[in-house]
Amino acid sequence: MTIADDIKMAPAAPKTPAKGVTPKAALYAVLSAVMAVFCIVPFILVIVISFGRKVDGAGWVWAFTFDNYQRFFVGILWPDEVTFLYLQQLGYSFYFAIIASVLAVLTALPFTLLLTRLKRRTQAIWLVFILASLSMSEVFIVMGWDILLSNNSGLPKLFQVTGLTQWLKDVGWFQILREMGLANPRNVKFKPSEFATILTMSYLVWPYAVILLYPALSRLDPSLSEAARTMGAGRWTITRTVTLPSIRLPLMGTTLLLFVFLLGSYVSISVFATPDKQTTAVAIYSNIRGSNLDAPFGSAQAVILLISASVCLYFGHLLNSKAEAR
Amino acid sequence: MTKMNRRTLLKTGASLGSLAAAGSVIGTPLIAQSRSLKVGSYGGYFENSFKEFVYPEFTAATGITVESVTQPNSADWLVTMQQAVPAGSIPTDISLYGRDSMIKASRIGGLIAPLDISAIPKAENLDSYFVFEGADGPQGVGAMSWFSAMVVNPNEVDTPASWADFWDIEKFEASLGLSNVHSSGLLDITAATFFDGEETMMSNEGILAILDKIRELKPNVTLWWNAESQMEQGMKNGDVIGGQYYLDVANLMAADGFPIKATFPKEGNLQDYGSWCLTAGSEKSSEAAEFMNFSSDPATQALMSRKIGTAPLVDKAMTDLTDEEFNFVSGSPSIKPAYEAYLDNETFIKESWDKMLAES
Repeated sequence: MTIADDIKMAPAAPKTPAKGVTPKAALYAVLSAVMAVFCIVPFILVIVISFGRKVDGAGWVWAFTFDNYQRFFVGILWPDEVTFLYLQQLGYSFYFAIIASVLAVLTALPFTLLLTRLKRRTQAIWLVFILASLSMSEVFIVMGWDILLSNNSGLPKLFQVTGLTQWLKDVGWFQILREMGLANPRNVKFKPSEFATILTMSYLVWPYAVILLYPALSRLDPSLSEAARTMGAGRWTITRTVTLPSIRLPLMGTTLLLFVFLLGSYVSISVFATPDKQTTAVAIYSNIRGSNLDAPFGSAQAVILLISASVCLYFGHLLNSKAEAR
Repeated sequence: MTKMNRRTLLKTGASLGSLAAAGSVIGTPLIAQSRSLKVGSYGGYFENSFKEFVYPEFTAATGITVESVTQPNSADWLVTMQQAVPAGSIPTDISLYGRDSMIKASRIGGLIAPLDISAIPKAENLDSYFVFEGADGPQGVGAMSWFSAMVVNPNEVDTPASWADFWDIEKFEASLGLSNVHSSGLLDITAATFFDGEETMMSNEGILAILDKIRELKPNVTLWWNAESQMEQGMKNGDVIGGQYYLDVANLMAADGFPIKATFPKEGNLQDYGSWCLTAGSEKSSEAAEFMNFSSDPATQALMSRKIGTAPLVDKAMTDLTDEEFNFVSGSPSIKPAYEAYLDNETFIKESWDKMLAES
């Protein structure tokens, strides 16, 4: 007796008669194929291209070389010279994404808490408004802030006409602003700067933060904090020991999601960040676009960004489950 | 719930098929009757002017209708063509390329087709430099030229006499707008101002020396622009009071009353030019030759200077342009980009440039 004989026995067992392809199975097959073609294939393509080779003065060719990955860590001239330019860009990708996502969640949290205490109808109006604001693209938002921060039509103009600029000059603080890169000899300037970059990025994801936090916050059981209050806890103690711990998971989840979303942020960075604080996402585009035609190096950067983001998410998850276990 | 079975699927498929067949039957005679040509140019004001002023003249002269195709610019158009042409779809019969993109296209191979220059007799009007010889013969005929010029806000500063004035921190602290793309001309301008021009661009040491000089300029630059519109907004909003920008657009903005003045400092401005190239696989090579021939006519060159703001590729004496019209679109001296360095030493120049920008 062999195993093969056993397998042959199996169909003899009573079973529903096969009817060929059921609609459900067909739908499943079609959806899987669509997933494969539109999600997995491009993904594999990026990975494969990242091993390609750039030809100076022309395009790139298929190859199998680790040069692009090496270049990411030490630069093209290695071993004669080392540059950490691309690591620096990766660092700023994380820097901006972390600060902006944390800031968005920190400011959205009290707002959403207050929102859940409003009347049902008012809540609905707010939520519709916030959902509607999601339809604005990054380009649109950046354009808006660009105008709000520009010299003749924005905040610097306000500084000038209200005499604030002159006052800053008189008390001598203007010189400090110039040294910080927040002023030119004529007036204050707010872009390009870290301030403008983080502001726009937080603004961009703020509605997401509210919408992601809302379900969890609206399910908060008020009796918990009431119980704490009857036991004599103050407002801050309640927030710290009751409210925050009970929404720890959605809080972490929201921050991580926004963080990943912001890692790929392009327009805000390319418009508002100074050249020394550009990120990997911007560098990827500048490599792939026509003036360089270096898709292999762009793809290698994309793969590294992806891996770094995955590592971050993994640690986030680990942290969560650790906290859960306690 | 409707159930999808094999029969209804076949029926739908059949009716869709017959619809497509009918469509192709209706479409065929139209294409056969008239001669047409798909021509690419950079979108926006530029393309609109072509559609409004140049293509109608061409149709009147030859009977060939032109279908205008929008290109984002010439470099990024290469990315599109690299994907489209091998896939067998040809978005344009003629595309417009800057010299560096054209050389890249020629070197990549299979993107632009060789031209029968005997069918383009008026190309004789152009300097031979503007008829590009690729590996398989002539592959591009000069279309028009443009300057990337020094611009300043005349309300804020006096017109500088030299590019070196931009290095003056007293005048321009945190006030300039320059492109953040390595091949946009700042390297050439700096080489022409402080070094031996193109010769310095040919070695790595030369490039690094030029970059050292540009490093000194960084405190004066507030906007390292990526898209042309950023610089336009910057000048209009007063965020920048000087920089490098397209001569024709700057003059148009000045004509509209915005505080911008384009000027030719003693070192000159950067001059680049575009070429018409025939897309590989296009079946319209004879129509394309007629178009290139039309474009090389001094009258067409003058028409483009007047209506689009490009500099003519033929001698001013051959055209009927007045001095005022000519000075609006052209000037001297001109700085030619070091194409060879940009092509052969591309990766080194880009990384060194990016490194210089990324230093805080």
